[in-house]
Amino acid sequence: MNIKDLEKEKNEGLDLLPSEERRKFLKIGLAVTGVFLGGSVLSLTSVKSAKGGNSDSVIPAEGQYPYTKHYGMIMRQNNCVGCEKCVEACRETNHVPVGHGAWRTTIQERLTTVDGVEKREFRPILCNHCNRPPCVRVCPTKATYKDPETGIVVMDYKKCIGCKTCMAACPYNARYFNHDKYAIDKCNFCLDTRLGMGEKETACAAACPAKVRIFGDIKDKQSEIYRLLHEPDNAIWVLRPETGALPNVFYMNA
Amino acid sequence: MNKKLVNAVGVTMLAGAFLLVSHASATEEYDVKAFGPKNPIVWDKPVKVVFEHRVHTDNAGLECSSCHGDIFAMQRGVAIQTSQLTMASLAEGQFCGVCHDGDTAFASDTNCSACHIVPDDPIVWIKPAKAVVFYHKIHTDEYGLDCDSCHNDAFAMKKGLAENSDNFTMKALYNGHYCGKCHDGETAFASNTLCNTCHIGVKGYNRMMGGVPHADKKSGH
Repeated sequence: MNIKDLEKEKNEGLDLLPSEERRKFLKIGLAVTGVFLGGSVLSLTSVKSAKGGNSDSVIPAEGQYPYTKHYGMIMRQNNCVGCEKCVEACRETNHVPVGHGAWRTTIQERLTTVDGVEKREFRPILCNHCNRPPCVRVCPTKATYKDPETGIVVMDYKKCIGCKTCMAACPYNARYFNHDKYAIDKCNFCLDTRLGMGEKETACAAACPAKVRIFGDIKDKQSEIYRLLHEPDNAIWVLRPETGALPNVFYMNA
Repeated sequence: MNKKLVNAVGVTMLAGAFLLVSHASATEEYDVKAFGPKNPIVWDKPVKVVFEHRVHTDNAGLECSSCHGDIFAMQRGVAIQTSQLTMASLAEGQFCGVCHDGDTAFASDTNCSACHIVPDDPIVWIKPAKAVVFYHKIHTDEYGLDCDSCHNDAFAMKKGLAENSDNFTMKALYNGHYCGKCHDGETAFASNTLCNTCHIGVKGYNRMMGGVPHADKKSGH
């Protein structure tokens, strides 16, 4: 229908609308303006307010950890030398196949030229185990979910139908299709392969020769990750904060 | 049209062949003053070394027989094939070391760059972390270092010794060994800063070696 014709139509008024319809309409409005879910999903308001804890930081504030243990990782990024020992350790520990773009963690490289001198920068990436994971939201079979104990985004391979919607939804491109499992696979902070066996660190963190990856419970005040996150002088950032996914992988320069 | 093309190709090939032949003959060109080949002898093994006949004949006044016969065969490549042409054998008075003993001519453990040429290509270490590059040229040309600034104190001359040592770590550098001898924050930038000046990572290594960076590039996915 032409919009000009629509304008000519007479307003029906609200009297004829059933109350249920009116409620539904109001709900849509609230969702769009972001009253639900703390104003992050489909938010039309400023993304700066869409933070986990205190409103002006990417770091979760005290008393705002939804999980019993709240695992996270902080990267001392400028210490990374791109040796990829972490990538190898992860492949070995978690049986990540080689090829087919399969990785649970990898190293990104950026080359720039400053005054004719080539500079390189390395950045380790992995699943950010977001507090508001877009992948979990879109999974039609609930095959991926936040582990209520640890806050780790885990996979139930049996439930996964391989539709790859989560791959599309992930802002960090941290998921791949595993042809052996015939399901989507992703980093789970070595929950089944190491943490479950009593190890305190992920395979990648343990393999790093430059102590780039600091893994731990961000709720534990004795942990190094807590100390680094709350050091007043530390400038901390996360990747793609504008998505409002509230990642638990943080970055800093050592 | 076809004939023209054939002609053009023919001329190009002839010119190319001529260039090749003239180049080959140039390397063997005899120089009266040098009493030998005009161009210097270049050894690639065990490392790159250059020898000028003319410096020894015209400048130093040696006869052919001073060296040829007992010390070096006339035939090209014989010395290399013996696998004895090393700095160690020179120090024992073999080959160049017959004269280059410190009395007759400068000793073979001095004045390195008279014969040795620093390589253009970087040294690439892949142990203990892949990969670290070192450019001789930058250290000699830009910062004016001599061979003995590093050899044999910080690094042995012999290739691969540092890399195969268990001690070739950042910690050793912080304690003033290897690169850390200068890279201490005073003489040169500190070893625990500017990591990626020397560290090129696996990706940088693969690029440098011209290899396919990852297996999945091959599989076509």
